[in-house]
Amino acid sequence: MKLEIGNFYVKDIVFGDKLSFQNGVLSIQKEEALKFIKEDDRITEAELYIAKPGDKIRMCPVKEAIEPRVRPDGRAVFPGYTGDLAPAGEGVVHALKNCSVLVVGRHWGGFQDGVIDMSGEGQKYTYFGQLNNIVLVADTNEEFEKHEQQKKNDALRRAGHKLAEYIAQCVKELKPENTEVYELGGMIRRDPAIEKLPSVVYVMQPQSQMEAMGYNDLMYGWDTNHMVPTVMHPNEILDGALVSGSFMPVSSKWATYDFQNCPSIKALYKEHGKTINFLGVIMSNLNVALEQKERSALYVAQIAASLGADGAVVAEEGYGNPDADFVGCIVALEDAGVKTIGVTNECTGRDGKSQPLVTMDSKCDAIVSTGNVSEMIELPPMETVLGELEALARDGLSGGWANDELLGPSVREDGSIIMENNSMFCGDQIIGWSPKTMKEF
Amino acid sequence: MKKAILYINQFFGQIGGEEKADYAPEIREGKVGPGAAYSGAGLDAEITYTIICGDNYMGSNTEKAVSEILSMLADKQFDIFIAGPAFQAGRYGVACGTICKAVAEKYKVPVITSMNVENPGAEMFKQDMYILKGGNISSKMREDVAAVTKLANKILNGEEIGCAEEEGYFGRGIRRQVWRKDGKPAYERMVDMLVKKLNGEPFETELPIPEPDRVPIAPALKDLSKARIAMMTTGGIVPVDNPDRIQSASATRWGRYDVSDMDKLEGGVFKTIHAGFDPAAANADPNRIMPIDAMKVLLKEGVYGSLHPYFYSTVGTGTTQAEAKRMADEIIPYLQNDNVDAVIMIST
Repeated sequence: MKLEIGNFYVKDIVFGDKLSFQNGVLSIQKEEALKFIKEDDRITEAELYIAKPGDKIRMCPVKEAIEPRVRPDGRAVFPGYTGDLAPAGEGVVHALKNCSVLVVGRHWGGFQDGVIDMSGEGQKYTYFGQLNNIVLVADTNEEFEKHEQQKKNDALRRAGHKLAEYIAQCVKELKPENTEVYELGGMIRRDPAIEKLPSVVYVMQPQSQMEAMGYNDLMYGWDTNHMVPTVMHPNEILDGALVSGSFMPVSSKWATYDFQNCPSIKALYKEHGKTINFLGVIMSNLNVALEQKERSALYVAQIAASLGADGAVVAEEGYGNPDADFVGCIVALEDAGVKTIGVTNECTGRDGKSQPLVTMDSKCDAIVSTGNVSEMIELPPMETVLGELEALARDGLSGGWANDELLGPSVREDGSIIMENNSMFCGDQIIGWSPKTMKEF
Repeated sequence: MKKAILYINQFFGQIGGEEKADYAPEIREGKVGPGAAYSGAGLDAEITYTIICGDNYMGSNTEKAVSEILSMLADKQFDIFIAGPAFQAGRYGVACGTICKAVAEKYKVPVITSMNVENPGAEMFKQDMYILKGGNISSKMREDVAAVTKLANKILNGEEIGCAEEEGYFGRGIRRQVWRKDGKPAYERMVDMLVKKLNGEPFETELPIPEPDRVPIAPALKDLSKARIAMMTTGGIVPVDNPDRIQSASATRWGRYDVSDMDKLEGGVFKTIHAGFDPAAANADPNRIMPIDAMKVLLKEGVYGSLHPYFYSTVGTGTTQAEAKRMADEIIPYLQNDNVDAVIMIST
């Protein structure tokens, strides 16, 4: 399978007369774009903003991030989600780099939504603080979940994916600045020099814990709760086969942007033929019932062993209950003779003294740790807020609270905030970017 | 200049060796013994007093010794309390830990000491204070004093204290996120660790797995038909107005609710405030998480002896082990006072 990602580097974003990309400047015709968004009659109110690194902007409640992309051959960027089913991972896709579409609720947030700051002390807490962002702030008529703590955010998230596809139309016919090529053939009968190297699989555990439909990560539009682990080509992940959901406390989330750019897959590609023989991805999931957790672990270990993997990396899109899936999967792989390392965040509590994962096993002897959901963060007011900051305190965001006898409310009258890292949008970057680690003090 | 008070034993106080180990505490103005080394190492505080105490005196009359020393300090101004270094001397190490802990609690000043990894005092007190990892014998005095001074100066000057590994103290069981100075992203660390593990080379995990902290399973009830049972859940079932304001995630609060006059929990009267699952089924019938209905039927049938009048509730999602343990410690006396024989703990 061969994927060519044609890159267009966005240096600036402006609102202009027409949608275009020229000399690094992405120009968006705002009224037309908003008209396009409002084609979904569930959207009752929508506005577009630009948020660049250094801007005095705070966003909340942030629901999703997507890299704008388009396929010159007309296939949907997210097959089975924004358009008809078609294979992903093969052919040409054009991408606007250093750039994402962010979706922010105009009013209402939930457990799974988060915060992004574009400047100041808060900027470093998310990956998106360093990108040029097109921000869709919108509200919907989804009355049934307006006051629900768990929201599907369906209209808003779909609007974001469609907008990302819509914006990238402007580079459909253009010649990219450069092209990244990801090519990996069948797992067997590879070059003997490569086959001598230890073979490795990347095991992904995307969020799929909601039994009700509409909340979980999707794979070609299919709910990842309704699957047992399977083999995927890494290019499929990089090319829109996975769409993020709306369930997990957000510092542990993998946004769709994260799947599209998965740095851990890219790193394994880079090592392929040098230090490892990268076989591909085992797509697993995260479950609620113990039997489901065990079934997935059993499948992953069996697939890894059947493929002849010497090593594996397991990464979880979650913390807390999903730690059981994560640890169980590592243990199953180790028991099957596969040398395994894990990538996860931790939850050590406000005093830092709690057990870092809800379950632990001495077989997990190689862990890359990417952050702490319980870290307390206090940030000064920000000049501009996109969305409704009060949502952090009012709507049950995982890292916010309405009131606390010692700390007061998460959102103060002057616009300063106090929160747990739990609500920093994709803040722990378990997908692989995290510059953070955990240390004992 | 800021002020420090130093604690040392009879040997380093030049009183004598083992034969003087029963020496009762005394306080002297100025610095004695290792005090000079601290000044030489550049401590940003003047050692105004030195306390000397025999190791056996502290070991065998601990309460008395501590109280005597604390009263000696009552009228003294000091910004930091330093003990040792204690090297591998077991009684001295335990004495340093004991007095540092007591001084920190009573006078709310920073305390600091140093001992060798083999010193039992290190294991006993490392959670309570900064203990620098020191040498095993007193010939390491210079290095150990220098290490204590370096960290003490950071504390005195209000500088940020780095992690245990960086500063050289024993980890206090506190794990925090840090930004790596080299900015090396997780994916690079992942590849490094993976390749090392595959090639059988040494590697360092970023999450050392501690020894499991397991609670032994209680022995089975001898006679269920006479047993008094209490009900408990982390599923967040509360009266609809959530009177104890239990949080929906990362809970630090719990509540107990009288069900002695009820045959079951009514929907609309009770609900769940747990944010980690779909609440629809639990709100429609709270008994599906807190099965008071079934318990009352079984009680009538005589399956078990009696039901404790209250059920206990908190929220488990994101709730830390330490908070859970604290809440359990608060709940247990209610159960003991009512002679509860067994608890049914309902998770979600």
